Order: sequence, then structure tokens, then C-alpha cells
Amino acid sequence: MATWLMRRLVASIAIVFAVVTITFFVVHLAHGRPCGGGDVQPLPPDVCDRVCRRFGCDDPLPVQYAKYLGRLVQGDLGESIGLHRPVADALADAIPNTFTLALAALVIDFGLGLALGIYQAARERRIADIALGNIALFVNSMPTFWLGLVLLLLFAERHHWFPVGGPGDPVMCPRIDSPRCAIDFVWHLTLPALTLGLVGAAATARYQRATMLEVIRQDYVRTARAKGLREQRVLLVHALRNALLPFITLFGLSFPFLLTGAVLVETVFAWPGMGRLAVTAIFQRDYPVVTGAALVTSTMVVLGNLIADALYAIADPRIRVRGA
Amino acid sequence: MSAWNWLAVGGAAVVALVVVAETRRRGLKSIRGRRFFRHPTAAPGVFVLVFFVTIAAAAPLVAPYPPNVQIDVDHPDQPPSAQFPLGTDPLSRDVWSRLAYGARVSLSIGALAMIVAVTVGVAVGAVAGYFRGWVDTALMRFVDVTLAMPRIFVFLMAVALWERLPLWVLVLLIGLTGWFATGRLVRAEVLSLRERDYVAAARALGAGSARIIFRHVLPNASAPIIVSAALGIGNVLLLEAGLSFLGFGVPSPAPSWGNMIADGWHKMAVAPWSATFPGVAISLVVMGLNAVGDALRDALDPRREGP
Amino acid sequence: MTDRLAVFALVGLALVGGCERKPTCAGEYCGTLVIATAGEPDILLPPVSEVAPTRDVTDQLFLKLADLGPSGNTIGDEDFQPQLAERWEWDTPTTLVFHLDRRAHWQDGPPVTAADVAFTYDVYTDSLVNSSSRTTLRHIAAVTTRDSLTVVFRFRQRYPEMFYDAVYQMRIMPAHLLREVPRDQWRSAPFGRAPVGDGPYRFVSWKAGESIELAADSTFFLGRPHLRRVIWRYTPDQSVAVTQLIAGDADAVEVLVTPDNVKRARADSQLTLYPYKGAQYGYLGFNLAAPGDTTKPHPLFADRDLRRALAMATDRQRLLRNVWEDLAKVPPGPMSQLWWIWAPEIRELPYDTAQAGRLLTRLGWTDSDGDGIRDKDGHPLAFRLLVPTSSFVRHQYARLLQEQYRAIGVDVQLDEVEFSLFNARSRGGKFDAVLNVWTTDPTPSSGFPQTWTQAGFGQLNYGRYSNPAVDRLVEQAVASAASREQARRVWRTAIETLNQDAPGVFLYATENIAAIHKRITDVTIRPDSWLALLRTWRIPADRLTDRDRVER
Repeated sequence: MATWLMRRLVASIAIVFAVVTITFFVVHLAHGRPCGGGDVQPLPPDVCDRVCRRFGCDDPLPVQYAKYLGRLVQGDLGESIGLHRPVADALADAIPNTFTLALAALVIDFGLGLALGIYQAARERRIADIALGNIALFVNSMPTFWLGLVLLLLFAERHHWFPVGGPGDPVMCPRIDSPRCAIDFVWHLTLPALTLGLVGAAATARYQRATMLEVIRQDYVRTARAKGLREQRVLLVHALRNALLPFITLFGLSFPFLLTGAVLVETVFAWPGMGRLAVTAIFQRDYPVVTGAALVTSTMVVLGNLIADALYAIADPRIRVRGA
Repeated sequence: MSAWNWLAVGGAAVVALVVVAETRRRGLKSIRGRRFFRHPTAAPGVFVLVFFVTIAAAAPLVAPYPPNVQIDVDHPDQPPSAQFPLGTDPLSRDVWSRLAYGARVSLSIGALAMIVAVTVGVAVGAVAGYFRGWVDTALMRFVDVTLAMPRIFVFLMAVALWERLPLWVLVLLIGLTGWFATGRLVRAEVLSLRERDYVAAARALGAGSARIIFRHVLPNASAPIIVSAALGIGNVLLLEAGLSFLGFGVPSPAPSWGNMIADGWHKMAVAPWSATFPGVAISLVVMGLNAVGDALRDALDPRREGP
Repeated sequence: MTDRLAVFALVGLALVGGCERKPTCAGEYCGTLVIATAGEPDILLPPVSEVAPTRDVTDQLFLKLADLGPSGNTIGDEDFQPQLAERWEWDTPTTLVFHLDRRAHWQDGPPVTAADVAFTYDVYTDSLVNSSSRTTLRHIAAVTTRDSLTVVFRFRQRYPEMFYDAVYQMRIMPAHLLREVPRDQWRSAPFGRAPVGDGPYRFVSWKAGESIELAADSTFFLGRPHLRRVIWRYTPDQSVAVTQLIAGDADAVEVLVTPDNVKRARADSQLTLYPYKGAQYGYLGFNLAAPGDTTKPHPLFADRDLRRALAMATDRQRLLRNVWEDLAKVPPGPMSQLWWIWAPEIRELPYDTAQAGRLLTRLGWTDSDGDGIRDKDGHPLAFRLLVPTSSFVRHQYARLLQEQYRAIGVDVQLDEVEFSLFNARSRGGKFDAVLNVWTTDPTPSSGFPQTWTQAGFGQLNYGRYSNPAVDRLVEQAVASAASREQARRVWRTAIETLNQDAPGVFLYATENIAAIHKRITDVTIRPDSWLALLRTWRIPADRLTDRDRVER
């Protein structure tokens, strides 16, 4: 197990390194130069040139790359061009927001998805199953940000049931230090998390329904039924346990998606997370932020996979890890 | 919208119905066909797809206006009416006409990008799976790296490498960032198929690598490829919509469903129709593709028992 | 931020019973103002900030020596109002002496002194700091201190707007807190994320991408601000900001931007709308030099008559109606409504498609192959228009223009690019035509030469238009006009000359409308900086809501 972990770790680091390298070169080769300034008030060219020089634009690309790596190994992600602050600070502000949103979406995704899937499997081929199946299919086929726009229109603009955006009410709840503010926070989180989670939940439900049906036909479930156990118990205890296994993999795959797939949802709901940070940085050619964001997201992706694999190995005795 | 246009839309629906009925009649003669149509969503899925493809092909007949004509710029954002069944957009263009012509653009981008993705995915997967060794390792590590980068970031950065992005480059880029899953899938299939007896027999008879891959291995791996292609077109449509929302995608004024949403969403609060209908169209088509993909998976995979 | 992750623990605490914030504040000084906006500051340090939205926040934190009065007159010093300087006098025509208000103090205690002013001038003009307002201070030779409350500005020459240049751009910085910061580190100084100022408000918090909060300084020497809290909420899009306003999540929006937003805000009985002059103008600019090669003339737009034909073929009123309805005006030349040289009677080329068509035909551009596009010597009359994807308004304009020009046989292809690429390409002259917008200062004296005369080559005159007659007139207006009336006449001649050359088609000059919750009264908006008089806005005690009265 230890050697397996070591090998996986080394491979993961190599992957992250490759991602950072590719990102660095692609974003530097892109047209356009980094140069602060707003949409309608660009900086005078001479000011802009000095900004650029300060960030080493005039050096040949390999030199810039070497310098960047040199700082990176010392744990320095550099300074943002557009945000006027260390990249690490900007990322540290954005990551918790992204994590909260992703976690909430994950809860909806798996919670709702599993429940629906099991329910559908139990009602196989009845009206409820077919209706839910079609709804899930439709939701799973929507562009996420479009779903967000529609939810926003219906539930925030037409009926003020939910707030229009942002992670909280800055007047009544600048900090979460009272129950009322905790509720306010959840209330702000609901629409973006729903948008992000619903699409996944639809997929999860379809998947879960299929696995449940497969498992139900297996011998041990038949045995359980034959023993005279109640149907509910058969489904929820015997069948579910085995049907859950593939979810660990699914989790490993979908968590990174939730982190990065949130880009558009973050834009729609004014949610200050990683996705928005990275996309803005790409638009502004804020090189250090782009590479920093690539570093963080790719690390999370490989970590997610690593954890999923490890969990899988622990959970399923049939899987033998080489070197264990 | 004239009676002619309505008639043409009705015609498209009839065509789709006939196609569904006919394929069903023929399909039920074979085991696979029966398995396919046993899926409750398969027939509606085929209907939706054929309907939209017909609309795209017959766009000049079903659309009352050319897609880019600005009908009355002094009165944009007209709500749906008899004249404009889906309303007009902020540039006073007929949303229904753009939707019909946009089907051409979006569906062909989806199909073309998917062809690119499947071709590359199959090639890489087959080569990696068949030759194994360092080729396999190198290719699969590359896939690992690319999978660790969010697709939309890769895309945004790649787009900026061109000062003026031609449409074919866009299609190519979508395809080239979309083959990883197919590649892995094909590799896995090939890895298992290459050990089969008939492959060994072919090799013993002196068949070259290329011949073995193309004649013996790939045809037997076609089922998962077809399924992933069907699902992949849907992903392309969704990606195109997302990119348009961020300001990329198909350059205007050519209509695509993605840039129609992008054009209309600023007015979501006052004129929701111009962003809503293209979104519905995307959802319907992707839904059709998913339904057909599911049914195909069951039909083509002998190991699975359909529901 | 981490406290958000502890939310579930808090839900548990709720069962035990938590502490609620109580709305207890009463009286004249309780108001809370929440401003929703799409533009977030980059750093709260005026000399190094590079984006316009910063100013809204920093103007509440840092004072100038004196500020523009309600007349907006930038010539001479009569119409300026004291801020940090309680009075000033001229020792010689080029020596200006400021006497600082002895009541002024930094929010951490020390008084504001002449040394702070000299330090600030030094910082603004230091090329290591690289301030974008450096050029506006180029006529000042030196700033010295006479005693702790007296500071002396020496100018290189005498000119009408010397006082404006001395006071308008510089926000005085606290030397005792910033002296130790190396000049090349100012750009990302930590001070810029937790500033200490001398203005009516002090800094409370900044949540990146989310909000900035300021609190009133009750000891502010020019008068205690009535609103005790100001909070900016940031959204990625202005229409989302308006939605927040209508949903009651915010109290104010600086500009409604689109007619739809105005309609939405007007329909909301909780809001009052305040129109004021806009500082922006948008135009279609022609590149007179070959794209990417400034030494060669542009194959099409070097031809003055062709430019004139296109200008005459543009129905600017119609475009304006579609995009803006009545939220903008067609400008009579390259100018914003904020500029005092604005005058509807300035002569321009007429809108006359027939004449434009005849002119094109005379120049040899005819549709010889019947494809609807004019051509000459086998070349179609076609050009590419550079547009940023970030701007909905320009996006819309570009496509409307495309159709209008097609109608007279001109083929326009759009290059819709993201903003950094738009900037790089327009700066590098890599375009045929560009849909550009300028946000202007209150006076044309520095912006105009930078954009429409030879002085702007390599600077902001992207299209490289220059006419020696215009250059001479502008120089005369900026350097030697004795009065505003005389300057106005010279400017008018300059702009009429420019209009005849049609270096661009001047499409719109914005008219802003702010929407503010009706419980807020005494709202005065100074067009050049809408929050400049914020400290006088107030909420009467009987109209306070819980959001105003809540304690932290």
C-alpha cells in the first residue's frame, strides 16, 4: 500500500508539473498583453509598458519560465498583475467559496440523485419511474448556466424567494455569527448549488437506478427476499450497499468537475470562486493568476482521483492494489 | 410567419414521425432493434433528433425570414406572436428563423467536432491499446495531464492563440479537447480484444498491425464508440453554449444556439424569449442524443440486459 | 471566510440559542447605503490603481487639496472648493501656495501636514510608482513645504487650467504610513487592501469579488457624514446589479446603462431616478495608417472622401434609438456630455445616404459584379471592425452598423475579441476600424490632444488622425485662452474642422441615470464623480429601516 501510494504521489506531482508547464506556455503565447486598466479607460501605453516590463514581459519565454519555476519551488506563486496582490492571497480568498459551493452541490447531487435512483428502481416501469426518468433526462441535458439563468429569473426576479446573487447579505450578515446569518448563508447558497447540483443529480439518479436494477437481480438479493425480509430492507440494506461502490469512483470524477465546472454558474450568481478568478485572469492575461489557478485545480483533480482510488481499494476487497 | 412556414414545420414533424415509425418497423425484426426500441425514451429521442435535423435541412422553408435580417430596429424585443412565433431578439431578428438556421450551425458543429474527437480518440486508443509498452504509457500519461486541466480553461487559452478565430479552428479545437474519454474507452476495448483467439489467428496468418487493428479489432469495439459519439455530440452543444456565454463560440452574425443565448441573456428580465428558446432547443436535442445513446448502449452491448 | 464552513456547527448552536443583531441605532446618523456595481477596484491606493471604479471608494477615504465645484468649471481657481486646503493664494503667476486645514487628521491620529502633500507629489511623479496620472502633473516643476501647514506648488508655465492640474488628480497620501514602502513595491502594497485615510469614511473590510465596506468617521473635520455605513456589492454584470437593486438587496446603482434597466427601475416605486451628465462617448474610429504598419497609409481610410461618405451613410439617431432610446445623445464631435465644450450647434456632416452613395460612386466604388457590395479594380469595399466582446452596447452597435453599411454596398466583417486583445490590437494599430469608447475627465484639455492630435501618436490616438489646423487650434485653446468663453469658441472651430475630416463616426455620448432608494434624501450627484458629495446624503430618522439601524 505504501509503495503504491508513493508511486501514485510521484505520478500526481508529475501531472501537476506538466499542467503548470503547458498552461504557462499557452497563456504566454496567447495574443494580447497583460495591462490592468478597465473596459473603457485603458492605461496610457507608456504606463502599460512599464507594468509589463516589471513582470518580465521583455525576457525570452524560457527565461521567464525558469524564473517562475525558481520562485515556485520556494512556494512563491508570484504577484497578480491585475489584482495588485500576491496570487496566493487571491487564491486563498476564492478557494473556500468554491469548496462551499462544490460541497453543497455534491450534497444535492448525491443526496437527491441516490434517493431518486433508488425510488425509481423500486417503482421500475411504473408511471413515477418513467416520469422521473424523463425529467432527469431533460435536466441532465440542459446547459448549466442556462438553467441558472432560468432559475434566477423565476425565483429571484419574478418572485423574490431567493437572493439575486453573492454569498451573503453584507448588511445584516457580514459574518456568520448568529443562527439568522447561518440561514441567510444557506439561503444565498441554494440557487447556485441547485443549479450546479441538479444536473449532476439527474445523472446520478439515472446511474443509480441502473445499478440498483442490476444488483436487485443478483442472487444474494434474491436470497434476502426469499428469507422473507421486507422489500424496503432488501433495497436499502442489501442492494444499496453494493450499488454504492461505483459511487466512490463517480465522486472522484465529479468533485473536480464541480470545482471547475462552476465557472459559468459563478458568473451567473456573482459567486466569488476559483472559476471566475481564473476566467477573468485568462481574459486579462494575468499570467501568474492563470498558472496559479491551473496549479491549484490540477492538484485538486489528481488528489480527488487519488483519494477515490484509495477509498475504492479499501472498500472493495476484490480490488488488489499492486504492492500492497 | 406564413401558412407555408407552418405547413413546412408540420411537414418536418410528419417526416420525423414517419422516420420513427419506419425504423421501428424494421428495427423490431432484429434482436438489437427490439432491444433498442424497448427503451421507453428511444422512439421520442429519435423523433426529436430527426425533427431538428429536418428543420435544419429545410431551414429556408420553415423560417419566415433570413436569419440575420434586422426586421425593425426601432422596435426590437417583440414578444412571441402570430407573426413572430418565438418573438424577436434585441436586434429585432426573428428568433424562430434564427433557431432554424442555427440548427444547421449548431448541429453541424456538434457532428463535425465529434467526428474529429472520435477519429483522434479511436486512433490514439487503438494505437495505445494495441502496441502497449512505452507508446501506451506516453499516450495515457498525456491523457492524464489533459484530464487534470479543466476543459473550459484549456479552451479559453487555446482560443487566445488566434487573433481571429476561424470557425474550422473552433470546431477542431472542440474536437481535439473532447477525445480523451473515447481514447481511454477504445484503449480498454482494444487491450482486451487483442488477446482474443481470432486476433492471434490473424496475426499467425501474417496480417500486419494496421490490418489487424482496422479489420479485426476496431469493428468489434464499435459499440462503445458509437455510444460515446452520440453522447459526445450533446457535450459539444453544451460546450458551445458555455463558450458563447463567455464571449467566444461561433462569430456573429451567423446564428448558433449558443450565441443566441449569449445575445439574449442580457435581456432575460424584460425579453426572456430570445435566450430561453435556444436553451430549450439545446436541451431537447441533447436529451434526444442521451436517450438514443442509452438505447444504443443497451442494444449494442450483448452483456447488458436492457431494462 | 472559513467561518462559512462552520455553518453547520452554528445551526446546531441555534438550537441552544444564539445572539441576534438588534436594530437599535436611532437618530440622524444611522443610514446604511448599499451600492450594487459591476466594477470592483483593483487596489485602494489611488496613485497605482488602474481601474475607474476604485475612485468611488478611495474618494471617501482620501481627500484632495481642493475639489471641483458644482459648476464643473476647470479654468482658473474661482469655482474650486476647499478640501484639505482651507485657502490658497498665488505668490507669483506660477507659484501657488496652499494653507492646509489644521483640523485635518489621519484616521490613525496624526494631523495631515505639508510634508504629506510633498510626499504625495513625489510618489505620483515617480516613474517607479508608475502612476497613470503622472502626465497630468508634468507642468509642475516642484512642490515644497514652507511650514507644517503650508505647501508651495511651482509651475513651469502659466496656463488656464493650472489649478485644476494641481488639485484634481492627486489624493493626498499618509507619508507616515507609506514612506517605508519601496517605490517599486507600491503597485501591490498591503496598505492598498487596508487603507488608512483622512476622508469622511474609514475602511472596514474588503471581501474579494464580493464587497467593500466603509464606516463614517464621526470626527470628520468638514462635517460628520449622515450615512454611517457604505457598502459596495460587486457582481459580474451590471444588469445583475440592477436586479439586486430591484430585489431590495441594494440601495443604489450608479448608472442604469440600458433602457430596459431604466424601465425596470421606473416601475419600482421604491426607487428615485437621478439623471446626470455622462462622461463617456463611443465612436467608430477609422485607422488612417495601414493595419500594423504606421508608416504606410491605410488602403481605404487614408482617403478623406471615403471616410466622409461612410460618416454620411450612418444613421446615428436610429442606432441610438435602438440601443439607448433616450439614455444618450448623438455627440456633435468627439466629446462627452461632461465636457463644457459640448454644444449642439457645432457643425457636422449631414446624414445623407444619397450623397454618400454618389460620393462613393465618384470615387470609383461601384457594384460592378452585382453582389450587392461595391468594388473597385476587383477589390470589394470591405473592412473589418474591431469590437470587444465585453461590451453589450458596442456588440449591438457593431451589428447594427454592419447592416446599415451593407445597405450602401459596404461589407463589414466583425472582429469580436476579448478585452485584452482588443486593447493590444487597438494600441498596436492592428485594425481597419474600431468601436471605441473613452471615459473623459471634466475637461478636454488633456484627453483631447491625447486622442485626436499628433501629440497622441503612440499614445491613445489609435487611428493616427492628425490635421495641423486642428492641432494648432487645440494648442491655442489649452495653452492660452483667457476665459472659458474664448476657449469655447476656439474649441468649436477645432472640432468643426475635425468633423469635416471624419476621422471617425461619433455615435453616442452617454446620459447617466442613477437609481437610488427613495428613503435616501438630499442626494446631489456631481457628474464627474457621482459619489463626490456622498457625505451630505442622508436618511431622515423616521425613514430608517432595520437594515439602517442594525448594530454590528
